[in-house]
Amino acid sequence: MSSTLNTGLGGGIFTGKRLRWFAAAIVLMNGFFPAMWILATAFKAEIELTAKPITWIPHSPTLNNFIAAFRDQPLPHYLLNSAIVALSAMALSLFISALAAYAIARLNLRHRGVILTSIIAVSMFPLVTLMVPLFEIMRGLGLLNSYWALVLPYTVLNLPICTLILVSFFQDIPRDLENAAMIDGCTRLGALWRIVVPLAAPGVFTAGILAFVNAWDEFLLALSFNSAAAYRTLPVGIQMYQGEFSFPWPTISAALVIAMIPVVVVILIFQERVVSGLTSGGLKG
Amino acid sequence: MNSTQPKRPFFDRLADMNETTLAALLLAPAFIFISIIVVYPVATLVWNSFNDVRLLTGAPSRWVGLENYALLLADAQFWRATKNTMIIVLVTVPGSLVVGLGLALLANMPFKWRGPIRLSLLLPWATPLAFVGLIFAWFFHSEYGVINDLLRRVGLAPQIWFNSPTLTMMAICIATIWKTSSFMALILLAGLQTIPKSLYEAADVDGASKWRQFTDITLPLLVPSMLVALIFRTLTAIQSFDIPYSMPGPGEETQTLAMYIHMNAVDYLDLGYSSALAVVMFGLSMATTFIYLRYVKADGK
Repeated sequence: MSSTLNTGLGGGIFTGKRLRWFAAAIVLMNGFFPAMWILATAFKAEIELTAKPITWIPHSPTLNNFIAAFRDQPLPHYLLNSAIVALSAMALSLFISALAAYAIARLNLRHRGVILTSIIAVSMFPLVTLMVPLFEIMRGLGLLNSYWALVLPYTVLNLPICTLILVSFFQDIPRDLENAAMIDGCTRLGALWRIVVPLAAPGVFTAGILAFVNAWDEFLLALSFNSAAAYRTLPVGIQMYQGEFSFPWPTISAALVIAMIPVVVVILIFQERVVSGLTSGGLKG
Repeated sequence: MNSTQPKRPFFDRLADMNETTLAALLLAPAFIFISIIVVYPVATLVWNSFNDVRLLTGAPSRWVGLENYALLLADAQFWRATKNTMIIVLVTVPGSLVVGLGLALLANMPFKWRGPIRLSLLLPWATPLAFVGLIFAWFFHSEYGVINDLLRRVGLAPQIWFNSPTLTMMAICIATIWKTSSFMALILLAGLQTIPKSLYEAADVDGASKWRQFTDITLPLLVPSMLVALIFRTLTAIQSFDIPYSMPGPGEETQTLAMYIHMNAVDYLDLGYSSALAVVMFGLSMATTFIYLRYVKADGK
C-alpha cells in the first residue's frame, strides 16, 4: 500500500518526457471527459444545445438548467434520502464488522479462517438473486418504501469488505498496547474501544468510505424497493427527469452535476484511503 | 480507579466472560444480519423457484416442481436476455482488463503530480453505474450526442444508436468498460508497484528489449492481481443491470438477465418464475467463481 511515489518503469515500455505527458493526457482525458462534458451540457441554453456542430464550451452559460433540476424533481429530498441511507448503512456495517473483525483478529478462536470466509462469501451472492426474495420479505414486513428496506441490505452487503479491511488493521496493532491498557484496569472491550479502534482509525475510515460509496451508488434495490418519491435515493431519482418521450438532457446534466458533488468531495478528501482500501481488498482477498 | 466501586458499564461487565463466549457474542450481530439478509432469502429463493407464486393474482403459492425451469428453457425472452448478458461478459471483461492494463501502465509512469492521475482513476469508480448509463446515453444521442458529432467531424456517418440492438449493445459495452476499467487499473497499478525495480535493471543489463521486459516480467507478475480483479469483474458483468437499464435499446431487445429478473419480480410480481431465473444466474456466478478459483490454485503451485 506504500505507493504514492513510484519511480520504477513498471510497464517498462514508456520512456521520455513527451511520452509521459502523452500518457498523462490519455489517463486524465479518460477519467475526466464524461464529467466535463456533463458540466458543459449543464450550463448550455436550449438554443446552444441544438446547434450543429456541437459547441464544446458553453458560449453564454446559464443557470436555468440548475433551476429546472430543482423545480422538476425534489432533488434536495433525494440527496437527503441518499445521505440518510448511505450514512446509516455505513455506521451500522462499521459497528458490526468492527465487533466481528476484533473477534477474528484478536480472540482465541477456533475455525478463524472458516468464519472470515463465510462472511466474505456474502459478496459472492449476486444482488439480483437476493433482490427477488428480499422484495417478498420487505413486502411482507411492510418495509417497502422505507429507509430500512435499503439500510438493512446495504449493511450486510458491506460486511465482507469492511470486515476484511478491519481484520488486517486490527492485526497490525501491537498486542502489547492492548495488554498494557488491560493491566491499567481496562477490560477487553474497554481496550477495544479505547485503544484498538482509535489506533485502527485509518482502517475504520477506509472501510467507512468504501461502505458509504457502495451504498450511495446502489441502484437495483433502491429502484425495486423504494419507488415512492418520499424514499427515492439519488440514482433512482435522477431517472425520473425523463418523460415518456422527452429527455431533458440539460436538466438531467445539471441534476447529475449536483448529485456528483458529494462523491467527488469524498474522493477528493480521502483519495489515498480509498485507493489503499480498494487495492488491499483486491490483493489480500 | 474509584474506591466506591460504582456500577460498571454494561460492556465492561460483559467482558468478564471467557474468551470463547465473548467471541461468539461479538460475531453474533454479523451472523444474525447475514442470516436475515442472505441465508434465509436464498433458501426462500430456491423454495419459491419450485412453486407458483404470483402476488398479482393473490392465489396461494402452489408446488409445481420443475415447471418454472421448464418454462424458462422454452422462453425465448430468457434466452435473449442470457445472450445479451453473455455478450456483455465476453466483451467487457477482456475489454476492461485491456483498457485497465493500459491505464495502469500509463499511470505508473513517474509523474510529478500523482493526485490528478489518481483522481482520474477514482472518478469513474465513484460515479454510480446508473449515472454512467445516463451520461453515455447522452454521449450516444442521435442528434446532439458528442459521439455522433465526432463521427461527423471525421467524415463518418452519424448513427441512430438506440434504434439498433447491435449499436445499443456496443454503447452499453463501451459505457461498462469505461466505468469498470479504472477499478481494474487501480488494482493492477498496486500490483505493478510490488514488482521489484531490480528485475528491470537486471533485464536492462542483459539487453532485453522493453517489450520483452513487459511480456516476461510485468505480465507474469501481474497475473495474481489480474485474477482477483477478473473474478469480481466477471461476477458484476453477469449481474449487469444499471447501465443497460439506463441505456434502453428498441423494445426489450437489449434486456439483460438481471433486467428480466427485475421485470418478472417487481413489475409482474411473479416470484416463482423470477426465482427460477435468479437461481440460474446464481448458478452462473458459482460456476464462474469455481472456474477462476481453479486457476488461482493452479497459479499458486
